[in-house]
Amino acid sequence: MSEELDSQLSAMFDDELPPQECELLARRLSRDGELKARWGRYAVMGAVIRAERGVRLNAPLAHRVSAVLLAEPEFGASAAPLAPRRGGVRWWQPLAGGAVAAGVAAASILWLRTQVPVSGPMTAAAVPSAAAAQAIKVVGPGGADDAGAYVTPQAAPARAVLVPSTELANYVVAHSMFSTPVARRNLLSAFMTSEPATAGTEDPPDDAKVDVKADAH
Amino acid sequence: MSADVSDLSLVRRVQRGDKGAFDALVLKYQHKLVKLVMRYVRNPAEAEDIAQEAFIKAYRALPQFRGDSAFYTWLYRIAINTAKNAVVSRDRSPIEYDLDRNNSEESYDMQGRMKDAETPEGLVLTDEIRSTVNAAIDALPEDLRTAIVLRELEGLSYEEIAAAMDCPVGTVRSRIFRAREAIDRRLREVFEGGLGRAEELG
Repeated sequence: MSEELDSQLSAMFDDELPPQECELLARRLSRDGELKARWGRYAVMGAVIRAERGVRLNAPLAHRVSAVLLAEPEFGASAAPLAPRRGGVRWWQPLAGGAVAAGVAAASILWLRTQVPVSGPMTAAAVPSAAAAQAIKVVGPGGADDAGAYVTPQAAPARAVLVPSTELANYVVAHSMFSTPVARRNLLSAFMTSEPATAGTEDPPDDAKVDVKADAH
Repeated sequence: MSADVSDLSLVRRVQRGDKGAFDALVLKYQHKLVKLVMRYVRNPAEAEDIAQEAFIKAYRALPQFRGDSAFYTWLYRIAINTAKNAVVSRDRSPIEYDLDRNNSEESYDMQGRMKDAETPEGLVLTDEIRSTVNAAIDALPEDLRTAIVLRELEGLSYEEIAAAMDCPVGTVRSRIFRAREAIDRRLREVFEGGLGRAEELG
């Protein structure tokens, strides 16, 4: 038996071993007869030091208890107190499923928004700015027929790749029956605040939007 | 270090169906439990029977143990209730002696001899174990002896012992371990000589 293992056993006996190490050692202790015997002798030492005079130190109590427990049923995972109660699981399972669905939808929305600039036809490194991307064709010093001339693909407007706002909103609303009102509201508000065009600005009232359209005509 | 973490890890194993982990809990607490029960019954053999019953009750109730209290505390409550029920059912008066009032060495010796006298073999074996451990403790270097005594007799944590001995916690752990190793070398000879039965559990 290694000295480190014995040292751990001593510390575990005193409740001074870190929980992670305790878990591992408890597993070994329950199966290793030699380790268990040493553990038992540690208890005997303590009893002698505390002068527990009336107690028989060689009493086969542990052996007797172990023999009786052989006839006892083992506790399975279902009998463990940490297992959830049968009746308590079923009613919220659909809600949990809905919450998972809403979570996946939200994650998809956020992922789409964060991925667009990278997965688009041009990266930020290739196009220093949106204005530069508007330069459709760059002609080399030799004119249009110059072999050095190259064409910069037109950057697709970022908005064109995004899922339209109405579709996203419709998606969230269509799945709202599977989510709680609070989660739904949070989703929608997160969605609204993530709009690039309106980020940092307050939405105009509806009548103002009508006025803008009227002005355009 | 959080209290009761080692007991709890063993308890969780038992709850998952590992009976062997319960052996470790019995080995750890059997002497303390018998000592506790002996406040209620006179006979050591009867105290052992009650302690055994308490352990079995604890095992059966373990699925309901959530870990809100220390396993040690929970086990003691079961033992006390079992002992009280045993006393009532046998129409005996409990011995409500207070250990603090009867803590003279002479009193302990007298009580111990009277009880052990009923089991001569137990007296011999227990005396041999006790003398072996005491001799091993006497032979320990002072720093090791102080560490193990502060731990076992005073029940101090490693941190408290470190403060008392003005050394790091790691040193305390090492000293206690080395003290136990030194004692165990002698004690193992007694047990392996056929006098003890602890090995049988393996």
